[in-house]
Amino acid sequence: MQVFLQTLIGGVTFGAVYALVAMGFSIVYRTMGLVNFAHGNVVMIGAYAASNLYMFAKLPFPVAVAVAIAVTALIGLVIERVLRPLENKDFDLMLIGTIGFGTVLEAGAIRVFGATGHAVPSPVATAPLDVAGIKIPTYSLLVIAVAAAATVLLGLFLQRTKRGAAMQAVAMDHEAATAVGIHVGRSNAMAFAIGAGLAALAGGLIGPMLYVNPTMGGSLGIKGFAAAIFGGFGSMRGAIAGGMAFGLLDSFAAGHFQEYSELVTFLVFAAIVMVRPTGIFGETTVNRA
Amino acid sequence: MKRLILLIAAAVAAWLLPYGLGGYAIHVVDVAIIFAVLGIGLGLAMGVAGQINLAQIAFFGVGAYAVAILTTRAGLGFWTAAALALLAAVLVGLLVGLPALRMQSHYLGIVTLGLALAFVNWITNATVAGRAEGISDIPVPPLFGVDLASEYLFYYVELVVFALALAFALFLTHSPLGRRLRAMRDDDLAAGALGAEIPLLRMTAFVLSGLYGGIAGVLYAGLIRFVAPETFSIANMFLLLAMVIIGGRRSILGCVVGAVALSLVREALLDVSAYAQLGYGSVVVLVVVFAPTGLAGLPARLRRRRAAGARAALGSFQPYDRVHDREDGRTDGQARDRVGADAVADAGVGSGADLLEVDGVTMRFKGLTALDQVSLTITAGEIRGVVGPNGSGKTTLFNVVSGFYTPTSGRVLFRGREVTGAAPYRLSLLGVARTFQNLRLFGDLTVRENILVGLDRTRTRWVWRYLALPWSVLGFERVLRVRADELIDRFGLRDFADAAPRALPYGIQRRIEMARAMAMTPALLLLDEPAAGLNGEEVRQLAAIVRSIRDSGVTVVVIEHNMGLVMSLCDRVTVLSGGKVIADGAPADVAVQPDVVAAYLGDSMSAPSRTAAEPADEPAPESAAGAATESATESATDSAAEEAAR
Repeated sequence: MQVFLQTLIGGVTFGAVYALVAMGFSIVYRTMGLVNFAHGNVVMIGAYAASNLYMFAKLPFPVAVAVAIAVTALIGLVIERVLRPLENKDFDLMLIGTIGFGTVLEAGAIRVFGATGHAVPSPVATAPLDVAGIKIPTYSLLVIAVAAAATVLLGLFLQRTKRGAAMQAVAMDHEAATAVGIHVGRSNAMAFAIGAGLAALAGGLIGPMLYVNPTMGGSLGIKGFAAAIFGGFGSMRGAIAGGMAFGLLDSFAAGHFQEYSELVTFLVFAAIVMVRPTGIFGETTVNRA
Repeated sequence: MKRLILLIAAAVAAWLLPYGLGGYAIHVVDVAIIFAVLGIGLGLAMGVAGQINLAQIAFFGVGAYAVAILTTRAGLGFWTAAALALLAAVLVGLLVGLPALRMQSHYLGIVTLGLALAFVNWITNATVAGRAEGISDIPVPPLFGVDLASEYLFYYVELVVFALALAFALFLTHSPLGRRLRAMRDDDLAAGALGAEIPLLRMTAFVLSGLYGGIAGVLYAGLIRFVAPETFSIANMFLLLAMVIIGGRRSILGCVVGAVALSLVREALLDVSAYAQLGYGSVVVLVVVFAPTGLAGLPARLRRRRAAGARAALGSFQPYDRVHDREDGRTDGQARDRVGADAVADAGVGSGADLLEVDGVTMRFKGLTALDQVSLTITAGEIRGVVGPNGSGKTTLFNVVSGFYTPTSGRVLFRGREVTGAAPYRLSLLGVARTFQNLRLFGDLTVRENILVGLDRTRTRWVWRYLALPWSVLGFERVLRVRADELIDRFGLRDFADAAPRALPYGIQRRIEMARAMAMTPALLLLDEPAAGLNGEEVRQLAAIVRSIRDSGVTVVVIEHNMGLVMSLCDRVTVLSGGKVIADGAPADVAVQPDVVAAYLGDSMSAPSRTAAEPADEPAPESAAGAATESATESATDSAAEEAAR
């Protein structure tokens, strides 16, 4: 029971980060129908930026993360600008183009930061809370709280602001959105920047939990993407539910199968997606007549 | 002849190549050839069949690791192990391909990528696979006393295997099967409606890429005689992807060129590998944006820029032979004496008999009822019109009849056989052909190829011939081509036969789609708004074509908003409104029924002309609450439907 609860807490913490990654995927996908395979690598850049600023420039952790968000948002804008000619045109080409971008980011990180990574000390130095024999790291609580706050803020932005509403409109029908005077290009760019910013937040938060290295983007990106599919691609609440589900799957697989956890995770993922390709909340664009 | 000379020159050059290369250079070439075989496999799955397969590197790994494990752990001979390894790679291909039955594009990409990661995870941790250190001392493959430990001699083994693999891939892409795969890539729904068994074709694509991955793996095991996890990493998967994209994924030769070129570049930049990665990542982005067809597509792009003259014209339609002269009684569709019976009897149904019966069909989408207890009977030899306001369920009806939707309740009978919910390809092979409201031509196939896809009536299980009797496939292809030319001439498309349909004017595209449907030699032809977007003259030609098609013994059902055309063309008209049949009878009788006038013309009495506005892909359902006759109500229900679909 104790082991179970301990695993559960670990799963929820990672789930919160996966949810942030998945939300980044989803907001870009909703708005411009682009599946950004470079997203994981943007997370990696965010992790590097945040951890370097925190460890070497001695900035306070929140400031370091904020700067990292700004940096990756800029990268997001660049990716969007370069791939703009393909938007709403050829889906497969865009997909491959973003894979190319991911490769560039990874190679760039190896050039700049070196092939080996570094560990990041936890920014909250207090001892883990002890609740009925279960140790809850304070950093886990911080991660969950920040992820929840980011989710709420994003929800408010999409629902309550004019810009957010415009983005929703572009997501539903970009031609109709143009017709009512929404600047689709700007809306897309903003979606990309927000997505990249979420990636940096996820990267900054996961830094102290993992070893930061240039290849971490690959597996994080795939897991975040898988989480997005789990929940229902393009759906925001789906991203949260999927992230949590994937975090739990991940941490229970790690508990039971140790080194084979990745094998088990992806086999289970493939099986679940086979049964329900549209995820928990569903997307209807798969195979429609 | 010119091709033969080129081929011989290439063969001689390949034969002589090792004489000019040093020991390390030949190693590089050997590795490049292995990547070329892998690239062909990925090109077949992704470029030809449109399946985003990011597990190709794992198929490669399965082949190599199977040889390694079977030779070192189980003590099998190299070639026995190689045969089993191929089998294993094909099986893994089949398993990895299973998700393709349920999902496509990015979903498929991420699932296959996840499975590739799972494979890497397994080989890095399993003791039998030698964990992170891998497996060394794989035996040298024996070959009649030839010492294959020499990389020079191994080159010739690779060359022969590669030539065979390339020849088979080229043969496949230019055969009817390859054409169906490409049709599926461009538009899987239309391909299904034209008789292609989509699930089997997708599995075929994965089996092929598994096979090529396995071949490459066996060669790798024989050449390097050492396997370790990092060779099969995701980074190398992306390198392979870059090869195929840069070379041109839609062309097998392009994939080979890309693979060889990038292998050599990678070797040249080995000391600065991070820069190499930076370089090919950037090149992939640039290629995708500026030259999406890759190196292979460049000659065609240049040619197109130069040759832009020579005006082509749509020829006139040459009517079909009438099956028998009809003893005309044109005034009353019902009472007409149908002497054309015998011809239709060929198709198993006498004229005047029921060809299609729709019995109490209801179709619901998440609470929206698109069709509500629709029943109608189509008699063999008639032209039936289906009319109704936008969103009244006409296209949904077609989608049910042609197998795209399985109705919530009710039955569909074709020639007295129940076909409710049968797959589109099955209906197509039974003799139901259809066109689409928004034109679903295969954009990257030529007009001739579009028609050839329709002419191919074989089942996919026919594919064993591709391995066993390749010459019979070539003979079959020749027959198809002759018949395609006949059809092209009949529909006056001679000037456009080799053009890509997307570049052609709308009216011509409509005619191509009609020709493609008729290529299926159907018994029942469903036309979804064939006159939409046509000018007056084109509509007149259309009417003549449809009449001729009917006179050749084909029953026609036509959805149309052009009331003039419906009144003059159709023997009988069925009116749908709000998913219900509200009238059925001779055009003149139906047009004056008060219900029809109210539902169809609304209060304004102005004929609706929003023909092109109705999106065909939407199920076009509307609430069961009632017929939306005014456009305001209609767009409201449309968006409600869309909302629900989201």
